[in-house]
Amino acid sequence: MDCEKVRDRFSSLWEKELTPSEEKIVKEHLSSCPECQKEFERFEKTMGWLRSVAEVEVPEGFLPELYKKIEERKRAPLGEEVRGRWLGFPLSFKLPVQAVAMVAIVFLVLYLTKMMPMEVFRLKDAKQPSFPLSEEKKSEQVLSQKEMEKERRVSGAPPETPRPKDVDLAKTPVPREEKFEGAYVPQVKAEAKKVETPPSRTEVMAYPPIESKEAARAKAPTPEPGKIEKGLAAKEKSAVASKPPREIILKVSDRDKMISKLQELVKQFGGEMVTAEENIFLASLPTGSFPEFEKELMGLSPPTQTDKAIAKKQAAGNLTAAPGVKREEVDEKIKELAKRAADQESRTMVRILLIQE
Amino acid sequence: MKPSPKVQKETIESCKAGDEKAFTEIVFHSQKKVFNIAYRMLGNLEEAKDLAQEVFISVFESIKDLKEEVKFDAWLTQITLNHCRNRWKYLKRRKYFNSDSLDDPVETEDGNMPRAIVDPSDNPETLYEKKSIQHFIQRGLLKLKEDQRELLVLRDLQGFSYEEMGKLLGLPEGTIKSKLHRARMDLKGILERAAH
Repeated sequence: MDCEKVRDRFSSLWEKELTPSEEKIVKEHLSSCPECQKEFERFEKTMGWLRSVAEVEVPEGFLPELYKKIEERKRAPLGEEVRGRWLGFPLSFKLPVQAVAMVAIVFLVLYLTKMMPMEVFRLKDAKQPSFPLSEEKKSEQVLSQKEMEKERRVSGAPPETPRPKDVDLAKTPVPREEKFEGAYVPQVKAEAKKVETPPSRTEVMAYPPIESKEAARAKAPTPEPGKIEKGLAAKEKSAVASKPPREIILKVSDRDKMISKLQELVKQFGGEMVTAEENIFLASLPTGSFPEFEKELMGLSPPTQTDKAIAKKQAAGNLTAAPGVKREEVDEKIKELAKRAADQESRTMVRILLIQE
Repeated sequence: MKPSPKVQKETIESCKAGDEKAFTEIVFHSQKKVFNIAYRMLGNLEEAKDLAQEVFISVFESIKDLKEEVKFDAWLTQITLNHCRNRWKYLKRRKYFNSDSLDDPVETEDGNMPRAIVDPSDNPETLYEKKSIQHFIQRGLLKLKEDQRELLVLRDLQGFSYEEMGKLLGLPEGTIKSKLHRARMDLKGILERAAH
């Protein structure tokens, strides 16, 4: 048996746990190897010291202190108890819990940091009318528009009247948007800075259209005479889109009779027949006398579509409503008339369509 | 060192039922063992006292969960060892012990040598005369790895059998014996270097 194996058996030899044969072999080696003999003597000495260590007496007051601690623990609030328990948990449990908590915090921070710029974008979107709005925002915008409408009525200008200003405003939608955005981006930044006192949304929503109109008025170029015809189609389209002429559809049995009556009525209400093209008539009437004129006209023949909204929609969306009419010719006429009518702010354009029964 | 007589089964049952006298009896019966294990594991009397009290608070709070009264001693020792492990880690993190670096690596035969414990005497016998042997051994114990110290405390200081140790530590007896032998040889090396 070599030295290393003999030294590995020192504990067993000292505790007398070796088998007699093993003990004999080890002892023979020890007697023949002075190094191993010396090592074993040192080992015996260490064991002697170790086993000689006496027990230490428990300090005085151990039990009263223990009871005091138990009482304190009973009175301790739940938080401290939980904290104490937490400290008592093994590290194998605490580490995964702490790791999960860390990951959760990191995700939370990432989520929040991503959310912040999103909020700013949302505010921007809310201010841009060209973007689709949520129901809440839409209703807010409608409210603000109604307020503006009211203001306009108070000032005396009828909202439905197509005005040259409106034509111009409709003509320049792009600079209007640019101005709008340019004017409000810094405001968004300012809002972001003033986190504590952000302005109410209705204020934000109500303000942009006024600002944009003013901007559009400022930017809108004065139309030159030569360019009028060129840009008239676009103007007319936008004018129709913003302030469409009134349209009345009449079912008639005697066309000629109806035409003469129509002309009489127009004259009677201080208007003038601008054009008479087969079954389409365009008349210019003073805005104040229009409701009565309409009433009288309805008395001549029941309209096919009495719903104003539908009539407006048709006029705004599609000018080819009348069958058998050459669209181009009609368009040109309407353009001219719209121009003339636009010069007179207080007049209302009425288009009357006659349909043979 | 003779193992202390076991706590009576009736006392444990009374304690489980909430009898404070029974609990006091248990404390009187086991406090020396718990306190000594704690002291040898931590090397500090104040810490050992505090830890022993914490152990008995744990006993007081959870004895109702003990199903087999016969295993009370093993259960108590297990609680003590768990508290010792946690407290040792806690104190090490706080660098509570500023004496001969508890963090020094344990000496191995590979040559990983710790700082020698300086002692003017060359002779261990003289050292025995000059210093308290208990203090000398205690410092040696604290230089060992925690699991090695546990084995020496349980077997050589508290007199646990290999079977009991196997159950306590969840290891086979053969493993316990070989690990214990390694711990003893390491302690021998530490004490020798401390003396020279």
